[in-house]
Amino acid sequence: MKVAVKEQFLISPYLAFFIVHSMQTGVGVMGFQRYVAIYTEQDSWIPVLIGGAAVHLVIWMMYKMLNKEQGDILSIHETAFGKWFGGFLTLLFIMYLMAMGITVLRTFIEVLQVWMFPLLKTWTFTLVYLIAAYYIIAGGFRSVVGVCFLGVVVPFYLILTFLAPLEFANIRNLLPVFDHSMKEFALSFKSMTLSYLGFETLLVFYPFFKKPETSQKWFHYGNLFTVFLYLYLMIITLIYYTPDHLKRTIWATIAMWKIIRFPFVERFEYIGLATWTIAILPNVCLAFWAASRMTKRTFNINQKKSLIFILMIAFIVSPLFKDRTEIDLLNSIVSQFGLYFNFGYIPFLFFIHYIMSKVRRKV
Amino acid sequence: MNWFKKGSKTEEDSLLKVIEQFKKSGDFIDFQNPQSPTHYWISYFGSLVDAEIIHRDILPYLNKSSFKKIEDLKAALPIENIVVTSDLGQIQQMMLTGSVLIRLNIADKQGLLVRAEMNKAREVTIPEEEFSVVGPKESFVESLTTNLNLIRKRLPIPELEIKEFKIGNLSKTRVAVVYISGIANEENINTALQRVGDIQFHQILDSSYIAQMIQDNDNSPFPQLIDTERPDRAAGVLAEGSIVILVDGSPHALIGPTTLVKFFSALEDYFVNWQLASVLRILRLIAVTFSILVTPIYVAILNYHYELIPKDLMATLVSSRSLIPLPPFFEALILELTIELLREAGARLPTKVGQTIGIVGGIVIGTASVEAGLTSNVLLIIVALAALASFTTPVYKMSNTIRMIRFPFLVMAELWGLVGIAIAFIFLMGHLLRLTSFGRPYLEPIYPPRIEDLKDAFVRLPFKMQPKRPVELQSPETIKFSEKAAKQKKDIDE
Repeated sequence: MKVAVKEQFLISPYLAFFIVHSMQTGVGVMGFQRYVAIYTEQDSWIPVLIGGAAVHLVIWMMYKMLNKEQGDILSIHETAFGKWFGGFLTLLFIMYLMAMGITVLRTFIEVLQVWMFPLLKTWTFTLVYLIAAYYIIAGGFRSVVGVCFLGVVVPFYLILTFLAPLEFANIRNLLPVFDHSMKEFALSFKSMTLSYLGFETLLVFYPFFKKPETSQKWFHYGNLFTVFLYLYLMIITLIYYTPDHLKRTIWATIAMWKIIRFPFVERFEYIGLATWTIAILPNVCLAFWAASRMTKRTFNINQKKSLIFILMIAFIVSPLFKDRTEIDLLNSIVSQFGLYFNFGYIPFLFFIHYIMSKVRRKV
Repeated sequence: MNWFKKGSKTEEDSLLKVIEQFKKSGDFIDFQNPQSPTHYWISYFGSLVDAEIIHRDILPYLNKSSFKKIEDLKAALPIENIVVTSDLGQIQQMMLTGSVLIRLNIADKQGLLVRAEMNKAREVTIPEEEFSVVGPKESFVESLTTNLNLIRKRLPIPELEIKEFKIGNLSKTRVAVVYISGIANEENINTALQRVGDIQFHQILDSSYIAQMIQDNDNSPFPQLIDTERPDRAAGVLAEGSIVILVDGSPHALIGPTTLVKFFSALEDYFVNWQLASVLRILRLIAVTFSILVTPIYVAILNYHYELIPKDLMATLVSSRSLIPLPPFFEALILELTIELLREAGARLPTKVGQTIGIVGGIVIGTASVEAGLTSNVLLIIVALAALASFTTPVYKMSNTIRMIRFPFLVMAELWGLVGIAIAFIFLMGHLLRLTSFGRPYLEPIYPPRIEDLKDAFVRLPFKMQPKRPVELQSPETIKFSEKAAKQKKDIDE
């Protein structure tokens, strides 16, 4: 079932690069190293590569389905499962998208509370941030993509700041190579894939590309860029920290900023975190945009109304998570769901969709 | 009062009644010349008509011979565009814009209208707001005809089209939409024509009235149309495919569609070599960023992030602030407002007094407030530099905007430090992303990213490297000149 979007709202295919990259790098970048290094220590850069390759495969499957449908996840679900059950599954997906937005925002606020303002009220920051998000999403998908673009470009200079820790790096930390069992690799692969999540929003915004098929190339490039970024960060982290130190460091990326020193600036993490406020904006905006868009598609209601409703829920839910354990729980639930969704459900859907589209064509 | 009705609609009105109404004004002249061979009545507004034209080109010919019909009179006068009409509306309208009415009998329904309006316009002078050391030194004046002449002189091509409107039911201001057909995008032209044509207002005093009425977003602090006083700039953007709007009585032309970065490009950038132009543009952008962010950053750091400052620098800051009783936010706010006050006072006063105010404000108040312990001298330097930096924007309206948007940043910095500044930046970014100018994205070429247009945005690359018109303007004729002819390859010693 084809989903038609008016011409003036379409975007160029190459912007897929920025969308996928900005969506994948959210709060995860700040502390993904530890979760992987717990299992594979000095070999942790290998799961980064394997995880990236797995994501490429899933993206390929998504594009196969979408190219056939020329639509979004709702049209895929309707082909595969029929109207009612398909709609129900889409509803689950909407809830997942909302949870994703809330998780990113709440986790970032926690980072702020830990590193900058211990007494920062969660609800005030959530309110202001969501108002900004509403203002941008109300401008339509084009301005959301604009935020994705600027959310990649503006914080880009931070990549260079990670060269500073190299002064204290010890390259021998990477040795010996391949010194872990398959089971350990499997576990660390699982935690690594969590950092790649976010690309599944493709299932919503696919019809917004001009000539959507051509965007696939850029989507893969975007993911590839994320892989390089993670690899870069992981290798620097591994040679900068000793394995034991890393296991005890929750926010490894932020902690690395502490080493940077200019004649006029110390404690660079303050600047880094302020910049990161802009970098997580695409995550929040795109997640809530996608959720409101799918609500509109599924229930045929005005997107502005559904957006306000969704943001209200986010505003109420976000301050309910109070401390580190609760936020960690939220993170692991959402990412577990994302993991099974992307690497379990999507291949399954791919299979069902393949069969059902054959069946329906015959009928 | 029947100002709003067209004269022709009131059937019972006769020409005599119109004249009767005009006669209520003291500057209306209506007389019969008994000495001439033909009896005729001549009537006009003395304040609108050039007496020289009447005495040189009209009266001598009327007195020369006798005329039976009004058409003979038309043939005899050496002036073009003479109208013979009985349309009351037209007669009224033309007389009010400086035509002379000639009738053979006082009760005639038909009259002869001769244009003889007085053209008292300021001389074309040197541009003041957009002055450049090199390049042309002409600027627009208050007369539309002169302004159009200044543009047409630079573009002697038949494709330069001018669509005129009369806007304002009281002021009846002439508004001209100028574009080059075949180069300007059809959609942009239609947008401009439609928006100008739809304006409903009683009086248009300046082109900024038009700008406010046709801009895309009324609630934005950002100007969405460039206003320029330079005819060379107007001609330059016309050739790229923009649309220029001129208003009679205003020495500023409006240019659209436009983008944010164009507000930071001075015309002088095209008159000096490209390396220098690029450096100056980057300098200007840094200055603007600095001007917006520096005071908020000062407040943020001193309020929340003093760890960010190294020990040695901290000592300087602490010693300069040790005696100040105010928190950084109020200190900054007071000083910023003082600077705004000085600027405003300077702008309202005559030039010579303005200079005195500048000295009093800049030197006396500044030094005194530091000595009195109200502000730190570090902040004084910062605020003064920020004020200076905001003056680097070539378009005056944009520099006003930059002055203004500093304050929300300041408030956010007080609330949440650097994160607050980032939040303010997010709002600014969101706003700019949503903004359009004649329906074209305002933040282009940053977003949507267009490599081709980046050649003339933050930097200006050599003319040779810019063979294409800006993508932003969606010109149907994308090529400016043939790249091949310009790029003839030469070998060494050939």
